[in-house]
Amino acid sequence: MVFLTLPLWIRNRGPDRFWKVQDLLKHARHFRGRKNRCYSLAVRAVRRAFVYATKSRKLKKRNMRTLWISRIAAATREHGMKYPALIHNLTKSSVQLNRRVISDLAITEPRTFQSLAKIAKARQQEGFRAALGDGKEPPGVLSRIVMLQ
Amino acid sequence: MAASRGLTGLWRTCVTLRRPPFCVPAAVRTQSSVSGDLLPRTSLSRPPWADEPSPVGLEEEQQRHAAVVSAVNQRIQNRDFGRLFAVVHFAGRQWKVTNEDLILIENHIDAECGDRIRVEKVLLVGAEDFTLVGRPLLGRELARVEATVIEKTESWPKVHMRFWKRHRYQRKRMIVQPQTVLRINSIDLAPNLS
Repeated sequence: MVFLTLPLWIRNRGPDRFWKVQDLLKHARHFRGRKNRCYSLAVRAVRRAFVYATKSRKLKKRNMRTLWISRIAAATREHGMKYPALIHNLTKSSVQLNRRVISDLAITEPRTFQSLAKIAKARQQEGFRAALGDGKEPPGVLSRIVMLQ
Repeated sequence: MAASRGLTGLWRTCVTLRRPPFCVPAAVRTQSSVSGDLLPRTSLSRPPWADEPSPVGLEEEQQRHAAVVSAVNQRIQNRDFGRLFAVVHFAGRQWKVTNEDLILIENHIDAECGDRIRVEKVLLVGAEDFTLVGRPLLGRELARVEATVIEKTESWPKVHMRFWKRHRYQRKRMIVQPQTVLRINSIDLAPNLS
């Protein structure tokens, strides 16, 4: 190392350490304890927070789906059916509503949900008749085969 | 397409069969040496909900269906419904929509701001007293949902971070997704229901 003058012997670090530190601490300001003030602790905490956020974006989709399913199951049991029967018979009647929409209808549009439950119930009865009977009864309205596009 | 009436009480449009108690295997046909109940009647041999089969024949059921359909037809022709809601399939998702609704879609749409768009895949339309359920879609001439593109922006920058401990591996990436905001202007029903 060759330093020709004394001022050059003094180490000159980067000019914007303050702002880089603040950029990281701003993500930690709502944490509890010294993690929201001290840089070394905050680095670790913020890294964990970001990693948890990335992983939970996938978990959120799974959790929401289980929530919708349990809501639909509760609503169908009020109408005297069970969730697997409802879903299976709705798909057999080629009603392609997803679980999010069906749970929203169960909450905000109870009459529409009741009509869906009735459709599923009728299709279920037609299925039972077709399976248990001798096949001589005419096929019901809902169980005729519909060609999907 | 099945039209069902949402009013409580009077009519039940589905016929329940007087069926044998729980768990009759499908292989058992109606001719068997054991007559009557195949299983002993226990507390679990019948479903806990009251299951009375309604003694309604086929013709009366068809008459009731026709009555319901004609009632719904009249309502549509007199435009007697209030606010309509619709379940619409758009951008890979299903949305439950009414008038003056705002929808945020997490991708780019090939339409400029201010364009009027007709949303075509309508799965269900409902009013206060009736619902039209599509199997799987309602006809194009039957239901019409119109929307306007209001805003095309980007989402807030999301952080995608991967970290393996004790392996000195971490990657940080900002993800910014294009977004579109639609306003649903109107949902309309056409008076021709078969």
